[in-house]
Amino acid sequence: MLQKIDEIYTDFQKALSQLKDQSEILNLKSQYLGKKGQLSEVLKSLKDVTDEQRREIGPHANKVKQEMNELVQQALRNLEVEKINEKLAAEREDTTYLDSVKSEWTPTGGVHPRTLIQREIEDIFLSMGFEVLDGPHVEDEFHNFEALNIPGDHPARDMQDTFWFDTKEGEKKHLLRTHTSTIQVRGMLERKPPFRFIAPGTVFRCERTDASHEMCFTQLEGMMVGRDISVSHLIYFMKTALQEIFKKKIEVRLRPGFFPFVEPGFELDIRCLICQGKGCSVCKQTGWVELLPCGMVHPNVLKAGGIDPETHNGFAFGLGLDRLVMMRYGIDDIRHLQSGDLRFNSQFKTY
Amino acid sequence: MKISLDWIKDFTQLPEKDADSLATRLTLGCCEVEDVETQGLFWEQIKVAEILEIEAHPEADKLNLVTFDYGAKQTKKVVCGASNVRKGLKTPYAPTGVLLPNGLFLEPKKIRGFLSEGMLCSQEELCLADSSEGIMELDPSLEVGTAMKDVLNKNTDTVLDIDNKSLTHRPDLWGHYGMAREFAALYEMKLEKPFSPKWMQKMQSLQTDQASPVKVSVEKDCAALAYYGLSLDGVEVESSPDWMQNRLRAVGLRPINNIVDISNYVMIELGMPLHIFDRQEIKGGQVHIKALSENTSFQTLDEVERELLPGDTIISDNEAPLVLAGIMGGLKSGVKDTTQEIFIEVANWQAAPIRRTSTRIGLRTDSSQRYEKSLDSLLCERTLWRTVELICELCPKAKVIGKIEYDGEDLTKIPDLKLSLGKKKLQKVLGVELSDLRVKAIFESLDFGIEDKGESFEIHVPSFRATKDIEGQADLIEEVGRVVGYDNIDPVSPALDISPVSLTNSQKLQRQTRDFMVYNAHAYEVMTYPMLGQKNLEKCSWPQMNDELVLVNALSRDQDRMRPSLLPSLLEACALNAKQRERFHLFEWGRSYQPSSKSFCEEHTQVALCMYHPEKSLFKELANTAERYMRALNLPGDICERNPKFKNQVIDEQWNGIHPYEFFNVRLMGKMQGAIFSIHPLVMRDLKMKGHLSVMFMDLTQVEMKAPKDKTKYRPLPKFPGSNFDCTIVTKKGEPVAKVLESLKSFKEKELQEVKVADVFELDKDLKSVTLRASFLDPEKTLSGDFLTQAGDKMVATLEKAGYPLKS
Repeated sequence: MLQKIDEIYTDFQKALSQLKDQSEILNLKSQYLGKKGQLSEVLKSLKDVTDEQRREIGPHANKVKQEMNELVQQALRNLEVEKINEKLAAEREDTTYLDSVKSEWTPTGGVHPRTLIQREIEDIFLSMGFEVLDGPHVEDEFHNFEALNIPGDHPARDMQDTFWFDTKEGEKKHLLRTHTSTIQVRGMLERKPPFRFIAPGTVFRCERTDASHEMCFTQLEGMMVGRDISVSHLIYFMKTALQEIFKKKIEVRLRPGFFPFVEPGFELDIRCLICQGKGCSVCKQTGWVELLPCGMVHPNVLKAGGIDPETHNGFAFGLGLDRLVMMRYGIDDIRHLQSGDLRFNSQFKTY
Repeated sequence: MKISLDWIKDFTQLPEKDADSLATRLTLGCCEVEDVETQGLFWEQIKVAEILEIEAHPEADKLNLVTFDYGAKQTKKVVCGASNVRKGLKTPYAPTGVLLPNGLFLEPKKIRGFLSEGMLCSQEELCLADSSEGIMELDPSLEVGTAMKDVLNKNTDTVLDIDNKSLTHRPDLWGHYGMAREFAALYEMKLEKPFSPKWMQKMQSLQTDQASPVKVSVEKDCAALAYYGLSLDGVEVESSPDWMQNRLRAVGLRPINNIVDISNYVMIELGMPLHIFDRQEIKGGQVHIKALSENTSFQTLDEVERELLPGDTIISDNEAPLVLAGIMGGLKSGVKDTTQEIFIEVANWQAAPIRRTSTRIGLRTDSSQRYEKSLDSLLCERTLWRTVELICELCPKAKVIGKIEYDGEDLTKIPDLKLSLGKKKLQKVLGVELSDLRVKAIFESLDFGIEDKGESFEIHVPSFRATKDIEGQADLIEEVGRVVGYDNIDPVSPALDISPVSLTNSQKLQRQTRDFMVYNAHAYEVMTYPMLGQKNLEKCSWPQMNDELVLVNALSRDQDRMRPSLLPSLLEACALNAKQRERFHLFEWGRSYQPSSKSFCEEHTQVALCMYHPEKSLFKELANTAERYMRALNLPGDICERNPKFKNQVIDEQWNGIHPYEFFNVRLMGKMQGAIFSIHPLVMRDLKMKGHLSVMFMDLTQVEMKAPKDKTKYRPLPKFPGSNFDCTIVTKKGEPVAKVLESLKSFKEKELQEVKVADVFELDKDLKSVTLRASFLDPEKTLSGDFLTQAGDKMVATLEKAGYPLKS
């Protein structure tokens, strides 16, 4: 009898695999599993066998019955899927005709590359506990010069070509800030040491423009004031920050540099990233590239910021943001940045 | 400025190092060396050769193959076309790799199939003659292999080119003696002191009892600090000796004659400019140093007529100006070939007036450049005697006549500068441990006096560093730091207090705005110039010219004032882009500038979004975007219709760039601080734009100061279902749906959640139907059919009363 059950099962499987129609499958089902179906017929004779045989055959027969039921369900489902898929095939669209391949306007957008770099650098400094400040573009002589230890006849005023506003005799003279250092003074006056902040912003120089010079560009000023801040802290800090900015190991060196608002003042060079210091055209064969001015804040500047230079000191640095933008993307002409020309801006697609 | 190492060696020894490492040490310890140049290296490389053999070149008639000995182990063979080649001739040979004086770099070269290594040189090729025939014939007694340097008595010199900007604050470094002091300090070498008090005494003894032929008088209110004059007779003007010419050439000066050369030489050596007059040109035996009282025309040495103004300081005789003080001598008063009697001027001038005059007339000379740095009056006399010393050396017949004539400030009254330097402070600021001995040695090597006072040092600043360079403790710390070398300071992390930081409200708003504009409004960020020109404003008929914020020294008239609004420059950017692309969205976050009687200028934070389409107006899309923007950022604002009672504060509603119908005010914190509108076709035409441009524009100056409030209020989810009631009314086609909704303001039920427009359908050319959907909800129970009927009737009645009948 066991053999008979297995034979029925095999026949059923063979028959089922031939069928491609729902009603045929249902017919087959009743043919085998229905009340008068083949399997049921066989099982009717179960009452004639011994208890021992029944204990063996019974579960086996049930298992086969269950499997047969499942096969039917499976076959019906497959049939349905096939039918749906046929319909889907008929409705099929060209899924590669996406916005990205269309010549017409598609919804994309992007921030200015300056914004990209500025945010990145702001976040680095925020992570190191620096606040982010800004101040007015239109400044007076005090904030742009005097407070920064650049008195009236100081030659440093020659080094910076300043845009001046037309002011009447006797009125305070106004100008466009030539550096973000103006924010140093405002930042100091508004807080009590210890503090640290950066100030990214637009600055203005009355300079003929060309591929690498702009009359209007962005800088980032940084300042840390506290007790017993030293040159060795400055070196450590600049190295750490620059490694984060360039995402590379950076070697720095300081050499004397003259800026009225710092004393001692430094030019900070980094080991050339192009040739790793072997000497190339970018570093003019010296292996070092001048990157930024920095120094210990001049006591006169601290005083102008309302800080006692006897008890507190600090360091400051300036970084040319546009230069970083141009380095990062290999931009050949600084004037593109403010051209408003989307052939330029749309290259910085954010999504 | 160029520094000759050969010259430096007059005053200090230099370590046996290559020029590049000397330059690096100077760069790291003092000032920036931009370039290192070895001059006359070829004189060492070019050797005396003797011709041994001559064969004809197999492939060229006029060329020979010449074999010669030049003192090396092996003989060489080169191709030579000179007609005077002969066996036994001694001639200069330049091997490959030499850069010849005429600028030719010798590389191995094939001449008609024969590899020629180097060349036998003519006088012309060595720049010893303007033109020459054949190769140079040398003295037959010369030893083969001798360097031409020794044959011609030429020297090689290494010249460092220093970036002048790195010397701005160091008046003492504008001469070789000052630079030698730096080298001596950096390498711990001895600095020679040839200009000692003893030397001064010896030089002073050259003065005679005769009356000085030229007296000097300094008038009040001129730029003079100190003025020395001395007369000499018996001068013979001729060429200066080779050594002097070589040094002047090395630092980039052209030798002229011995007297002019001496004045340049002394300036380059000691850093103090001077002037030598032909005494015959000084009329009346007197020079007056004075400020001009009237406009004067003066011809300077470079033969240019200069317009001088009252206040400019000049040196004149009894008749006319002779020298423009501190800048340049006059054409007439200079030394000529025939000059025998001279008058030497060594003066010191105030930095600022010299700089002002020189900048104004556009004449920056070696002299004015030095005076701008604030020179030390106490160095004038030394400079004068060094000049006399050299004149006596070059013109043995020259004699001092009379005495030094002086006028100016009382030099004995120049105060000594003494500063205190705390030992702890020094170490703390540099972050490095230093022994007292080391600190002492550094200051002494820089000619500072130093005394140990226990906790601190008392530092006596030499006069040549005290004119403005060294003012306080910080300056002294720099002296130590740079000599020690900053690369000898180890980086150490500062110990910092923990304190939370975050972006300010305005910065957060800025970031969120940019993100919204990019991700939601699909726009590209542009940055336009904060300056623009009147033309730009007129082109779009902008009502405000900002004449109060005009720059005096603008680079061009197109960028001569601060922009009164972001819009004019953005419209220009849109016009530019409309030529290049079909459709675009762009935005800018920036500042506009408003004249203010109180603070001169008020800067406003503005954001503008522009949407351009060639065929249709995107006004509605833009208005939707603006609403989404305010909602997304929780800005306290909404959009509303024009209202004559509430004027827009950031845009002139009368501006003819505004579309008559496509316009909304943006109300921020209760004030009309923005607008959404399309640009009027007429202004579009003026801007040479086709298509449609719509603009959203907001002034966020007030908003950015305050943190936005999150107005989200959570309500528990309703336990009972709500119901909708739809009704369709008929109205004129031109009727705004907003007005229809407005009419339902008086329709109030506590169960009413909202009324929205479900559909609009055009019925015919005059009428349309509007389907309104009201949703009702009672959190306590399911709404009854009765209630809905009642509420629906009430709503319909309200609409009908407002003139919107139900569609039949």
